[in-house]
Amino acid sequence: MAKVKRYKYRNTAMYLMLAPYMAFLIGFGLIPIVMAVFEVPQKSLTNQNGGWDAFKIVVHDFRFMPAARHVLGFMAIFVPLMLFFVLAMALMLDLDAGKWKKYVRLAYIVPASISGAVAVLVWYVILQPTISPIKMILRWLHITQAQQIWQTQNLVFILSLMAFFTAAGQWILIQYGSLQSVSHEIIEAARVDGCNPFQLALRIKLPLISKYVVYMGVLVFAGGLQIFVEPQILNQSVYQGIASAWSFDQLSYELAFTTGDFGGASALSILLLIPSLLGALIVIFKTDMFDDATTLHRKKVKKHGKMKRAEALS
Amino acid sequence: MTITSMLPSKEKRAAKKRRSSIRQDKRWANNLVNGWLIFFAICCVVPMIWLILAPTKTDGQLSNQNPLAFGKLSGYVKAWKNLQFFDDGVIGRWAINSIWYTAAIVLIATVTASLAGFVITASNIRFKKAFLISTLITMLVPPVALVIPMFVLVNSIHLLDNPWGVILVSSLYPFGAFLSYIYYSTTIPKELYESARLDGCNDFQLYSKIAFPLSWPLLSLLAFFAFVGNWANYFMPYVLLPSSENYTLPLGLGFLFHGTPAINPAVGATSVPIGKPEIALAGVLVAVPIMIVFMLSQKRLVRGMLAGSIKS
Repeated sequence: MAKVKRYKYRNTAMYLMLAPYMAFLIGFGLIPIVMAVFEVPQKSLTNQNGGWDAFKIVVHDFRFMPAARHVLGFMAIFVPLMLFFVLAMALMLDLDAGKWKKYVRLAYIVPASISGAVAVLVWYVILQPTISPIKMILRWLHITQAQQIWQTQNLVFILSLMAFFTAAGQWILIQYGSLQSVSHEIIEAARVDGCNPFQLALRIKLPLISKYVVYMGVLVFAGGLQIFVEPQILNQSVYQGIASAWSFDQLSYELAFTTGDFGGASALSILLLIPSLLGALIVIFKTDMFDDATTLHRKKVKKHGKMKRAEALS
Repeated sequence: MTITSMLPSKEKRAAKKRRSSIRQDKRWANNLVNGWLIFFAICCVVPMIWLILAPTKTDGQLSNQNPLAFGKLSGYVKAWKNLQFFDDGVIGRWAINSIWYTAAIVLIATVTASLAGFVITASNIRFKKAFLISTLITMLVPPVALVIPMFVLVNSIHLLDNPWGVILVSSLYPFGAFLSYIYYSTTIPKELYESARLDGCNDFQLYSKIAFPLSWPLLSLLAFFAFVGNWANYFMPYVLLPSSENYTLPLGLGFLFHGTPAINPAVGATSVPIGKPEIALAGVLVAVPIMIVFMLSQKRLVRGMLAGSIKS
């Protein structure tokens, strides 16, 4: 009896320690999604009868297709560029172990601090022919006025470059870190078998870090889909009107805060959540990236069972 | 005896020439790769150097001088004084807001995530797997995806335009909970908890006397990721804090773009002396703290992002 009491007490304390995190997880992870689902069928200016037509209405909004074109164009440049460039750079860093490379790695982390509003400021300067640190190159390209560059149709490229510049360095370091997990014996064996550095990279190293590549791909894709801050600041505060409802998130923001259509905004949020959720599920269940977490229970039960059996046998 | 020593002297010379040309090719390729690595490193640091140097110069010097020239150190003081003319020195308020919101988020997120990871490894509570999978899903979905639903929620609990709305919402730290689960399950043996229990420790003491003193590497990792994720966060405060006196520095920087003619051609001439050096100084205040933390914690970044799959 006493044993049962102690067991109960132990778990109560544990649940108490877990409670703050669980409160956040349920309160700010789960409930907002449930609330968004309930918000969708509410009556609004665009969905006057209410109901689930809100999804159809938002997809048929005149700003939806342009936003889709912009975001898909942005992703088509940003995601492959990131994957190709980051992996190539990480493999180059991993070619040999020069001491000077630690300084290079330190430099690669610097652009990670140039994001959001600061990124807009820095890129405003870089692409401003009068004050740019690359004004020679701009002059060589016959760009003498900022207006030649800052056009709505160029934003796909400019924003891809901005996002790439912020994210590439840190991902190079992370993938370089993942390459350090490839065992030296395998590399040596491949070298003895006559692999040149190129074959070593393509046939040995890349397949061995493929789960990290998928992990990066999913995070980069999910992040890119939600692009908001840079086009929003550009549109509102620098070149007004250049990127109005340019991305999905900007459209969602505009629906909510300009027209007060929270049902439509929630419907769009849910539509955008689906690919992110699918990506997350792929990383969790289709790669062994988080094997420890997803199979922990089963392994433990097996181990526990084995121990019990061993005890019984002895 | 090597193969070449058996060859006639003409062929020997040809083989030697071939080997040396391969070696030269290799050296040339190596130099090319290293040169490219260094070139990209320069590209990475030049914008930051420009940003740090810009407040030392005047508006005119920014246009006429070499972009990477140094002006005067007193330029920083002048730019700061000029920034005080904007909205009665609201920039000081933004800086204080940024510091205290981020400090509160780092503290709450680090403590709750560390406790959660500890409980999952040290207890026999139910639904561990469900907890871990929901944590992983929340961790892999970008928080931006939930901003509009979050606005609806925060509005309904009357925390809109209240700093605590942003602090509480941003304190959900699934990545931290996962990191601490990995840390506790790989570094503290279960036997340690068992012997502590036998010595009379209750579960709170198990954390405070056993796990917590062994957690400093984890806590620094959690604080690092919480800091870099929140110091420059824009979207969540932008939606949840409409009043300018509640802004953080990144929001304030956007507001400066909007309200001054420094980089916004639509704003006409104003009496407020805010030019590009002043805007750059506000940019430095946002970017430099995060850059320093990143540079000091480079290894933490890699270790944290790959946690769970690479044990060493």
